[in-house]
Amino acid sequence: MTGTAPHPGDDDVRRLELAQLRRLEIASVLEATTLAVLVGIAVPLKYFAGYTIATRIMGPIHGLAFLFYIWTVLQTVTGGGWSGCAIARLVVAAFIPFAGFTTPAFLRPRLKALAAG
Amino acid sequence: MTFHDVYPWFAGLHVASALLFVGGLIAETVFLSTLPEARALDPAQRRAVSAVRAWDRRVTTPAMLLVWALGLTLAVMQGWFSSHWLQAKLVFVVVLSALHGVQSGTLRRLAGGTGGARKQTVPIFVIVICAVLIAVLAVAKPF
Repeated sequence: MTGTAPHPGDDDVRRLELAQLRRLEIASVLEATTLAVLVGIAVPLKYFAGYTIATRIMGPIHGLAFLFYIWTVLQTVTGGGWSGCAIARLVVAAFIPFAGFTTPAFLRPRLKALAAG
Repeated sequence: MTFHDVYPWFAGLHVASALLFVGGLIAETVFLSTLPEARALDPAQRRAVSAVRAWDRRVTTPAMLLVWALGLTLAVMQGWFSSHWLQAKLVFVVVLSALHGVQSGTLRRLAGGTGGARKQTVPIFVIVICAVLIAVLAVAKPF
C-alpha cells in the first residue's frame, strides 16, 4: 500500500473548527445556566430557607459543567488563532454569573467567518 | 437500595474510567511525540492521527467525563470535600484534564492538516507523577 489518504484541505479545517466552536457555545450556555441556578436559586434557598440540599445537589452539577467548559476552552484555543485577550475573556466568563450567556455572541463573528470560508 | 450498597460499584466504575483515561492520555502523548515538528504529515501519519483522534473522542474523553461525574458523586455522598487528601487529588486531576484538553486540541489541529505536533507535547513524566499521586492519595487518604 502506498498511502493514498486524501490530503486534508481547507474544508476539513473549517468543518472541524466549526464543530469545535459549536461545542464551546453549548458548554458556555450549560456552564452559565448551572451557575445561574446555583447562585440565583440554590444559594438563596440554603441561606434564607435552610434547604442545604439545594447547594449539595447544584454545587457538584455546576462543578462538572465548569470543568467541562474550561476543558472545552483549552481544547478550542489549542487549535490556534486566539489572542490572549480572547482566551482571558472566555475563562473569566466562567466565573461571572450570566456572563457565559454572552459567549455565543462573542463567538458569532468567528463562526460567520469560518462558515463564509 | 442505599448509597452504601452501590458505593463499591460506583468506586469500581470510577477506577475503571480513570484507567482508561490515563491510558489514553499516555498513549496519545507518546504518539504525538513521534510526529514531526512544523512540517506537514505524510499520509501514513495522517491516518494514524485520525485513528488516535477517533479513540480519543470515543473512549478517552468519555472516560474523563465519567471520572469527573463519578468522582464528584462519590465525594458528595461520602462527604469528602473537606478532606485535604481529596483537595490535593483534585489538583492533579485538573492538571491531567487540562493536559488532555490541550492534546485533544492538538489532535484536532493535526486532523485539519495544519502544523506539527511536538512543541505542544506534554512531558510524559508529568502525567505519570500525577497518576501515581492520584492513586496513592485515593487509596491511602493520608491526611
